[in-house]
Amino acid sequence: MQFLLASGNNPVSHVLDAPVRIGGMEPFSGLTLQVVTLFVGLIAFMAVLLYASKNISTGKESLGHRRYLSRGRIAQVIEVMCLYLRDEMLTPMMGKKDAHKFAGFLLTLFFLILSLNLIGMVPMQDMQLITGTWLEDAQLAVVGGTATANIAVNAVLAFSVFIVIQVHGFRQLGLKGWLEHLCGGHELVHGPKGLLLVVPIIFVVEVLGIIIKPAALCIRLFANMFGGHTLLATLLMFGGMTWAGTNSGLATAGVTLVSGVFAVLITFMELFVAFLQAFVFMFLSAVFISLMSHHEEEHEAHELDGATAAAH
Amino acid sequence: MNIFILANEAAAESPLSFKLLPAISTVVVFTIALGTFMFVVWPKITQALDARDEKILSEIRAAEAAQAKAKAAQSEFEKRLEEARAAADDMIRKARSEADRQADELRARSQRELDDMRLRATQELESAKRTALAEIHAVAATLATSVAGKILKREIQPSDQKRLVDESLSEMTSR
Repeated sequence: MQFLLASGNNPVSHVLDAPVRIGGMEPFSGLTLQVVTLFVGLIAFMAVLLYASKNISTGKESLGHRRYLSRGRIAQVIEVMCLYLRDEMLTPMMGKKDAHKFAGFLLTLFFLILSLNLIGMVPMQDMQLITGTWLEDAQLAVVGGTATANIAVNAVLAFSVFIVIQVHGFRQLGLKGWLEHLCGGHELVHGPKGLLLVVPIIFVVEVLGIIIKPAALCIRLFANMFGGHTLLATLLMFGGMTWAGTNSGLATAGVTLVSGVFAVLITFMELFVAFLQAFVFMFLSAVFISLMSHHEEEHEAHELDGATAAAH
Repeated sequence: MNIFILANEAAAESPLSFKLLPAISTVVVFTIALGTFMFVVWPKITQALDARDEKILSEIRAAEAAQAKAKAAQSEFEKRLEEARAAADDMIRKARSEADRQADELRARSQRELDDMRLRATQELESAKRTALAEIHAVAATLATSVAGKILKREIQPSDQKRLVDESLSEMTSR
């Protein structure tokens, strides 16, 4: 019941980052559970993808025609994901050249965020609380939490997207083209003089857009992961609240059962959200990058609308 | 109760508070992840996918070439079969014509031989008839002469005999 009580006190506390504690102490000052989880996610990311890439790569000649096939379920799943994202999502949106150029970066974002989201779904903190009780270390907490529910983590990932968007924009459009883009595009700047009156407004909107686009990526991922886990903690909290309010075992058991069933259902939804948010982050990054390409610029508004609708 | 303390401590913070350590850790983690993915994982995957695409394309090309070859072989075979059929028909036609010609020739030869045989037989018959008639004439003349001689009590000479026969024959012919 300890982990239920822990969530019963404050659902947000279950989702927020906490310092690493061993034996009631904080051996590494400032080191938090989400930071450790971040590295665990990296290890999982590397382990799965290195294993998968080894099994996707062309095998020995002794295997005959079968050497061209991916070996193992994990490799097949990763391959399907990579192929779908590159050929069905990125290529139609960015064009083959840009899709192949940015696929490495965008898929890194996708798989890293996915790894962190999925690792965050494993109730490691709760398991440590149970284990800690047996080990007579009730505060034992080494790893746990969802790294993507940390705004700093998402901000860094979004900042990397910001850098890529701007570098790509400069390389594609040049300084003059980039400035024209900020002022509403070549047609507006070199169009009728009356339209120049709206250029300052567009400039402000575009400059804000430069910041808002990656900020939206950061906040969307944070809000989804934080909100989902808070919802789960809230559902689990109901049992503790019932016990606190009634002291009735029967009522507590009934409420816990119902809220537990809902928690399981929400967990499945969270599993879906883990994939969806990783995809949305990658997809919108690709949209923002492609908006800075020559061929896409004139369709900017249309594509942005479509992409935003898809993200919702 | 320690857990309540832990939870309360954590709850005191804002979810939006930006901490430097997670940010720096993320920079490190993302750099490692990006490096691993872009320089190890992705090249292997793309190389394998490209190799597979190339293999599939080459197999399709080979299959198409084999199909084209098979079609060409089939059309060549059909052409030769047609030629063989035509040659066979020609041979049959020629054989039939030769057989007809030979049969006609045989029939003509047989007819000719038959006609010859008939002619020969007729001639032989005529000759035999003439011989027989001559013999009859001779015997009849001899007999008649003999009878007449006996009747006339006079010996008729062979020259008389011949003359009498010829006269008799002339009378018979004129009659």
